[in-house]
Amino acid sequence: MTALLRRGLGYPAAALLVAVTVAVLRLFPALNESTVSLLLLLAVFLSAWIWQSGPGVLAAILATAAFNFFFLPPLYTFTIQDPRNVAALFVFLVSGLLIGRLSALSRERLRLVENERQDLVRLTRLSEAFLADTNRESLMGVAVDRLRDALQCRQVSLWLARDKGGVAEAVATPGTSVRQDLVDLAFRQGNSAEFPSELGGSDIYLPVPVGVQRAGVLVARGLRSSERMAEGCAVLLGLALERERFVKLTRAAEETKTSDQMKSTLLAALAHDLTTPVAAARGAVENWIAEAGPSEKATLALEQMKALSRRIAELMEVVRLDSGVARPRREVVTASELLEAAVSRFGQALENHSLFIEPPPADAVAEVDPGQLTEALGHGLENAAAYSPAGSAIHVGVAVDEESVLFRISDRGRGVPTSDRERAFERFVRLPTSDGVPGTGLGLSIARSLVEMNGGSLRLTDAAGGGTTFEIALPRAKR
Amino acid sequence: MSRVLVVDDEAGIRRVVRDALERAGHDVETAGDGEEALARFEQGAFDLLITDWNMPGVDGFELVRRVRKRSALPILVLTVRQEERDKVRLLDAGADDYVTKPFGVAELVARTGALLRRQSRTDQAPLARFGDVEVDRETRTVRKGEREVHLTPTEFSLLTTLLSKPGAVWTHKQLLAAVWGTTAGVTNDTLRVHMGSLRRKLEDDPDRPRYIRTEPWVGYRFSPEE
Repeated sequence: MTALLRRGLGYPAAALLVAVTVAVLRLFPALNESTVSLLLLLAVFLSAWIWQSGPGVLAAILATAAFNFFFLPPLYTFTIQDPRNVAALFVFLVSGLLIGRLSALSRERLRLVENERQDLVRLTRLSEAFLADTNRESLMGVAVDRLRDALQCRQVSLWLARDKGGVAEAVATPGTSVRQDLVDLAFRQGNSAEFPSELGGSDIYLPVPVGVQRAGVLVARGLRSSERMAEGCAVLLGLALERERFVKLTRAAEETKTSDQMKSTLLAALAHDLTTPVAAARGAVENWIAEAGPSEKATLALEQMKALSRRIAELMEVVRLDSGVARPRREVVTASELLEAAVSRFGQALENHSLFIEPPPADAVAEVDPGQLTEALGHGLENAAAYSPAGSAIHVGVAVDEESVLFRISDRGRGVPTSDRERAFERFVRLPTSDGVPGTGLGLSIARSLVEMNGGSLRLTDAAGGGTTFEIALPRAKR
Repeated sequence: MSRVLVVDDEAGIRRVVRDALERAGHDVETAGDGEEALARFEQGAFDLLITDWNMPGVDGFELVRRVRKRSALPILVLTVRQEERDKVRLLDAGADDYVTKPFGVAELVARTGALLRRQSRTDQAPLARFGDVEVDRETRTVRKGEREVHLTPTEFSLLTTLLSKPGAVWTHKQLLAAVWGTTAGVTNDTLRVHMGSLRRKLEDDPDRPRYIRTEPWVGYRFSPEE
C-alpha cells in the first residue's frame, strides 16, 4: 500500500521538495552559486531515491529552472548574462538527471535484492516445514497454509496425481475456485500458465515436478510474489512428496524384513524341534547296533530313521522356499566350484556308481547363490544315482554358450518318457518308474525352485545311450 | 582317556552322544545349558567341548565365543542349520568343526577322534605323517612314498597350517589370513587353485581327496586317518 501511495504522490512531492529547498536557499543570499547548486542537486538525489526515476527527472528539470531563475544573474529571468553560466547550467542539468537516474537505479536494485532475500527465507521456511512431515496426510494438512504464506497469495489449491490416472484436488484454501482446463493442461503437458487475476496480482498454474514426471499441479491465485518463487515452491513440493513416498517404501521394506526374520527364526526353531528327536532316535539305534551287534530289525529301524530325517529335511526345505525367506545371496562362482561342492557334499549317494566329470571350461561362470545351486546339483546327482542301476556310469559335463552355462548330469537308467517329464517336477508326484526307489517326490520340485530363484531353468532330457539328463541352465556371468 | 564335555538341552541327544563317546573310550560329562557348561568349564579341565547350537539362554554360539576367549580347547558344534554362512560365522567365532543333525554316530565319533588327536600329540613336532606322506617342518621337505615332492612356499604354508589343527575346519577367511597374512586381494578361487595343486601332489586320487577335504562354500579341513 505505502509503495503505491508513494509512487502516485511522487511528482508533486518531488516538486514540493525542490520548491522548499529553493525557498530555504533564498533566505541565505550570501551563499555563492556553487553551494546553491550542490544543495539543489541533493534535493534531486533525495527525490529520485525516495520517489524513483520519474519524479527524479522532474526534480532535476525543476531544479535547473529554479537555479537559473532565482540564482543566476540576471535574477528572476530565464536569460543568462554570463556565457560561462550557460555551461554551468548545462552541467547542472546533466548532473541532476544522472544523479536522479543512478540513485533511482540503486534503490531499485536494493529493493530487488531484498525481495529475493525474503523469497529465500520463505522458501527455506517452507522446506523446513515440508521436511518435518513424513506423512502425506499431515503434509497436505499444512501445505496450503504454508504455501499461501510463502507465495503471498490469496488462494492456493493443490492437485495430486491419482493412482488410476488423472489428477484430483487434494486440498485447497477455503472458497478457492480454479479453472479445471488449465489444471489439466499443466498436469498433462507440463505447461504453466500465468495471467492477471481479478483478485489482484496474478493467477498461476504450475506443474509439480517429480523427476521428469509430474506429481500434480499447484494453483496460486492473487499471487504477489514472483513466478520464479512459485516455481521454487512447486519444486519443493515435488521433493517433499517424493521424500514422503520413499519414507513409506523404506518402512514397508523394513516391515517385510522383520517379518522375514521372524519367519526365518520360527522355521529354524521348527526344524530344530522336528529334527532333534529323530536325531536322538537314530543315534540310539546306532548305539544299540554298536553294542548288541547288528540285527535285521535294528537295521530296518535305522534305515527308516534315515528316511524319516531325510523327508523332514525336504519338507522343511519346501516350507522355507514357499515362505520366501530363502532369498538367494548371489556371488560370482565358477562351474568347477559348484560341481566340486556338489560332489563333495552329495558324493556319498554316488558310492555305487562310476562318476565321470568333464573338467568345466574356465569361462563357465555364473552369479548365483552358491549354497542353493550346490543343493540343486546335489538333487540331480542323487536322482541320477537313485534311478540308474548300481555300477552304471553317471556323466557330468558343463557347456557354455553366449548367454548361459549348462550343467548336464546324465545317467544310464530307464529314462523318463517325454510325456511324464514335466509331471516329475510336481510336488509329491512319483512316476511309475520310481517303483522301489524311496523318496518323497519333492526333490525335483525343490531343485527347480532353487534354480529358478537364481534366474535359471531346469529340465529333464534324453541322455545319449538311454537314460535321463538333468539339465540346469544358468545365466552366464562375466568374470 | 580324554575328558569331553557334552552340552545340549535335549536329554535324548546328551544320552546318545554320551553312550557313543564312552564306547569310544572317552570320559564324558554333560551339561543341560550354556550356563551350566560355563560353570563346569570353570571347575575342570576338558580335552573337548561338544555343544548344541540352539539352546535357551546362553546358546552354542555364545558358549563358543566365551570359551574361545580363554582356551584353545577344541570345540565341536551340533547344528540343524544348513546354511553355509551360519557355519562360517560359527567357525570364525572359534568353533573347530560342526556336525549337522541328524548325524550318524560313527561320524560324530570319528570327528571327535580327529579333534582329540590334536590334543594328544605335540602339534609342533617337526615330523607329521598321513598316509604315505611325510612332512618335515624343519627342513621344509615333503615326501610321498619314496619320492620327494616339491611344494611351492604357498602350498607348504597351506599344508602346515591345515596340519596344525587336524580335524578342524578352516574358513576361507582364516586360511587367507594365516597363509597370506591378509584377506585383501586374494580370492577364494586362488585358494582353490592352490588346494587343487596340493591335492594333485599329495592325494592318491585328487578327485576324491582323503586328507585335504573341501567343506563346500565354508573352507577346508585336514582330515587325519581314522
